Amino acid sequence: MLILSRDNLLPFLRRLSHGRRLVAPLRNPQGDTLYSEIKDIDHCRLDLDNQPQASLKPFFLPQQETIATYTSQPAYGFAPQSHHRPTIFFGVRSCDLQGINYLDLTFSTPGRDENYFARRQGALLITLVCNRPFANCFCNNTASGPSLDHGYDLQFTDLGDRFLVEAGRSRGEDILETWAPFFTSARERDRQQQYQLALEAQGRFSRKVEVEHACRLLAQGEVHDDIWQELAARCSDCGGCAYVCPTCSCFTIRDQPLDAVSGERLRCWDACTLQGFTAMAGGHNPVAGEHALKRRFLHKLKYDVARHGKPSCVGCGRCLDICFGQLDITSFIRAVVARDEGD
Amino acid sequence: MAGLASSFGSGAMTNSINELAQVDVVMVSGSNTTEAHPQVARRIMAAVDRGAKLIVIDPRRTPLARRAHIHLALRPGTDIPLLNGMMRLILDEGLADEQFIAKRTENFLSLRDHLFRLDLEEICATCGVELADLSRAACLYARAYRSTFCYCLGITQHICGTDNVKTIANLAMLTGNVEKEHTGVDPLRGQNNVQGACDMAALPGNLPGYQALGDEMVRAKFSRCWGTKIPPAPGRSLLEMTHGGANGPIRAMFIMGENPLLSDPHQAKVAETLQGLDLLVVSDIFMTETAKAAHLVLPAASFAEKCGTVTNSERRVQYMHQVIEPLPGCKSDLAIISELAAAMGLDLGCASPAETMEEIALLTPIYGGMYHHRLRSSWGLQWPCPHGDHPGTPFLHKHFFSGGKGVFQPTSHVEPDEGVDGEYPLTLITGRIYHQYHTGTMSRNCPSLERESRAALLEINPADARAAGLTEGDWLELASRRGAIRLQAQLSSAMTPGQVYTTFHFHEAPVNRLTNPALDPIAKCPEYKVCAVKVMALAEPPHQARDEELPC
Repeated sequence: MLILSRDNLLPFLRRLSHGRRLVAPLRNPQGDTLYSEIKDIDHCRLDLDNQPQASLKPFFLPQQETIATYTSQPAYGFAPQSHHRPTIFFGVRSCDLQGINYLDLTFSTPGRDENYFARRQGALLITLVCNRPFANCFCNNTASGPSLDHGYDLQFTDLGDRFLVEAGRSRGEDILETWAPFFTSARERDRQQQYQLALEAQGRFSRKVEVEHACRLLAQGEVHDDIWQELAARCSDCGGCAYVCPTCSCFTIRDQPLDAVSGERLRCWDACTLQGFTAMAGGHNPVAGEHALKRRFLHKLKYDVARHGKPSCVGCGRCLDICFGQLDITSFIRAVVARDEGD
Repeated sequence: MAGLASSFGSGAMTNSINELAQVDVVMVSGSNTTEAHPQVARRIMAAVDRGAKLIVIDPRRTPLARRAHIHLALRPGTDIPLLNGMMRLILDEGLADEQFIAKRTENFLSLRDHLFRLDLEEICATCGVELADLSRAACLYARAYRSTFCYCLGITQHICGTDNVKTIANLAMLTGNVEKEHTGVDPLRGQNNVQGACDMAALPGNLPGYQALGDEMVRAKFSRCWGTKIPPAPGRSLLEMTHGGANGPIRAMFIMGENPLLSDPHQAKVAETLQGLDLLVVSDIFMTETAKAAHLVLPAASFAEKCGTVTNSERRVQYMHQVIEPLPGCKSDLAIISELAAAMGLDLGCASPAETMEEIALLTPIYGGMYHHRLRSSWGLQWPCPHGDHPGTPFLHKHFFSGGKGVFQPTSHVEPDEGVDGEYPLTLITGRIYHQYHTGTMSRNCPSLERESRAALLEINPADARAAGLTEGDWLELASRRGAIRLQAQLSSAMTPGQVYTTFHFHEAPVNRLTNPALDPIAKCPEYKVCAVKVMALAEPPHQARDEELPC
C-alpha cells in the first residue's frame, strides 16, 4: 500500500496518460457527470463526488460500432474493422469495474470477441472507493462494492489530502514501480483511516435490497404470475434499463448501405426487454409480453447465479432512476421476497 | 388552446409536470398517456402508487385505463355531455366550491341553469356509461383536496374541440381546482415544441405571446421593430391552406418540418392542393412524402446540429445545445430563413439564435426574461417570465386568472360530424403508438423502432372481427366515404365493439385518406378522432404493400 498526495494526482495522471487516452468522470457544462475523455487535463472539471450517469460499458461495447465494411464493385470485398486506443480509466466506481469483469465472461465464451478484447487489453483500470454511497446504490448487497479486494489494476481510497493506493493486477504493480517517486509508503494511521471509512460507508447505504435471498428463492421455484403481470403492466418497453446497465450486453447486427456498391456492418446495442428482440420475420413472437421482462430479471438473478455463482447485477442503481414505471430490479426483488414472506 | 384561453385567459398547462406526482385525484381524458407522454404518465403512476385515485375517460381500454380506479369508456365525441353530467352530479351533491365561484369566477348562474335543465339518464345513454360510475368519478374529483385534469388530442380533435375544453374548464372552476399548486387543467402537447410554436404565433389570429393581432397598439409595437406594416386581418388556418384545391387562392408554399401529405385529413384533397401550387418549397431533415412532391427541397439541420430553444407542455423554455456541425449541405432553420430573406432583399437583423431570442424577449411579455445566458446552464424557465430576474412560473393563475376572472361558458352536446350508418357501420378513432412518432419522418428511419413496430395495424374488437371474417394478422381494406387503405387486423379487447383504431404513422396505410376534414369552427382543428368506416377482409396480401406509392 502506498500514498499519493492529492497535489500529485494531476501530475501523476498527466505522466500516465502519455501516448494513451485518459478517461475519468468529468462534469460537463450542463451539470452532468459522465466518464469522458480528458483532452486538456488543466481545463476540465474532474468530478470524484458524484456517480457517473452512464457506466463504463460504452467504452468497451460502443452503442454503435462498425465491425466490417463491404463492397460489391469492382469485386466483392469484406473487411473486418476494429477501432481501439490504449486507455487509462481513472475514478472508476467499483460497480462499474465489476460490470466490465462480467462483460469479460460474456465476450470470452463460447468464442472470443476480438473487438471487445482489443479494447479490453489496452485498458488500465484505476478504481476509486466510494466513501459515500449514492442514493440508489446497493452494491453492498451484490458484493461488488463499495471497495474491492481484487479485479482492479489500481484502487484509490480518498483519505482527504491524500489517496491510499493498492495494486491489484501486475500491471498496477508495474505502474507503481515505474512512477515510484510519486508515492510514499502507507503508515498504520492510513490503514486505520481506510478501515474506518469502509465501516462508515457500509452504514451509509440507504437501501437494503435482499439480492441473495431473492436469488435463493428464484433458484428454488417459479415466480408467481401476478408479479410478472404487475411489472409488465408498468413497463413502457423503452429499453432504458438495459442501456444504462453495466452488464447488459445484448446487441444486434445491421447492414447499413452507404451507396449502391458499398456499406458497413454495424453492431448496435439492443435490449431483451424490447418486444422486437425475439419477433420473427412472419410476425410471430415466442417471447412476447411479460415474458420479455422475465428474460432480463431471471438472466441476472437466476441463470447467471447458476452459471457463474453470482448474480450479474452490480448494484449501481442506475436503472432505478431511468425507469418510467418504477419496475427496476429492486422492485422485482422486493416483490419476490415479499411474496415469499406473504405465503 | 382557444377554449382554455377564453375561460382562463391563457391557454397552456396550468401545472408543472412534476406537480402531478403529488395530486390526490387525477382525471385523464382523451390521452393515451403511457404511450404518448411517458414522462407525464410516470408522474401519474407515482401519484397512484402514493394512493391517488385515477379516473380515465377514453373510449379505448388504454394501458393507463387498465390501471385506473374508474374507467369511463364513453362513446367517441360525447365528452361534453359526460362532463356536464359530472357537473350536475357535483351540484346535486353540494360539492361545488361556492367560495371560489363567488370570488374568482363569473357567469356561474348561466352554467347552473344550463346544468339543471339536463337529464342524467339521457346523458348516460348518450355517452354509453353507467350513472353509478359517473357519480363516483364526479364525487372523487370534487371531494379531493388536489384534483388535476389532464387532456390531450382526444378532447381537441373534434368539431366541438373548443367547447370540450371549455367544459373541462367549467368543471375545474366549479370545484375550485385551479389556481393552486397540484390542481389545474393540463393540456398535454404532442411534440417537444408545439407549445413554443403556439407561443410564437403559429396561430392565425395572434402575434407572439398570444398578443391579439386585432389590437392596434400591439401591431404598432411589432411594426416599429420589424419596420413593416402588420396586416390586421388574421392569416389562414392550416386546412384552409392545405385544402385550398388545385386552383386555391394560395399559389406558393414554404413548408418547414411538416408532412401534411400524411398528417392532414382527407389526403386526396391535400395532394390535389399541393400539386396545383405554382411553387412548393419543403425544408426537412429527411425526404418526406411532402418533400417528394416539392419543386425545391432545402435540407435542414437536425436538433443536434443547431442551437436554440424549445418550449414544452409545462411552458418550460429549454435550451438545446449544438452537438455537431450541420452535415454537409444542411443549414439551420435560422440560416435558411435569413438567407431566403436576404435573397429577397431583406436583412432580418438576427445573426444568431441568441439575438433572435433577445428580439422575442423584447416583444413578448411572457418571454420577457428568457435570454439564452439564463437558459443555457439550467433546466429552463417556465413562462410567464417577464423580466431578467424573474424565476419563472411553475403554476398558472395563482390568486387570480390571467384574464381577470374565470368565465363559465355553458356548452351543449354536438354530435360528431359523421355518424355511422348501414354502409359505414364502424367508428374509426385515430391516434399514435409508442414506437413511432407522427408521420414517421424520423422514427421510421430508426431501425430499432421500425423493428418494434413496422406496419399499420387496425385494432378491432374480436366480435367485430368475427363478423367481418377476420382473424389476427389478416389483411383488410378499411374504407370511408373519402377513400380506402389496406392494413392488417389486430384483435384487441381494449376496443369497444363498433369502434376501430389505427395510427397515422405509416405511409403504406395513410389513414388520413379516410379522415373527415370537418373543422372545429373556432380552433380550426379537424375531427381526426371520429369518422365512419367499413371493413372488408382481403383474400390475399396487397401486392408490394410496402412500396406502395402515394397519389402524388
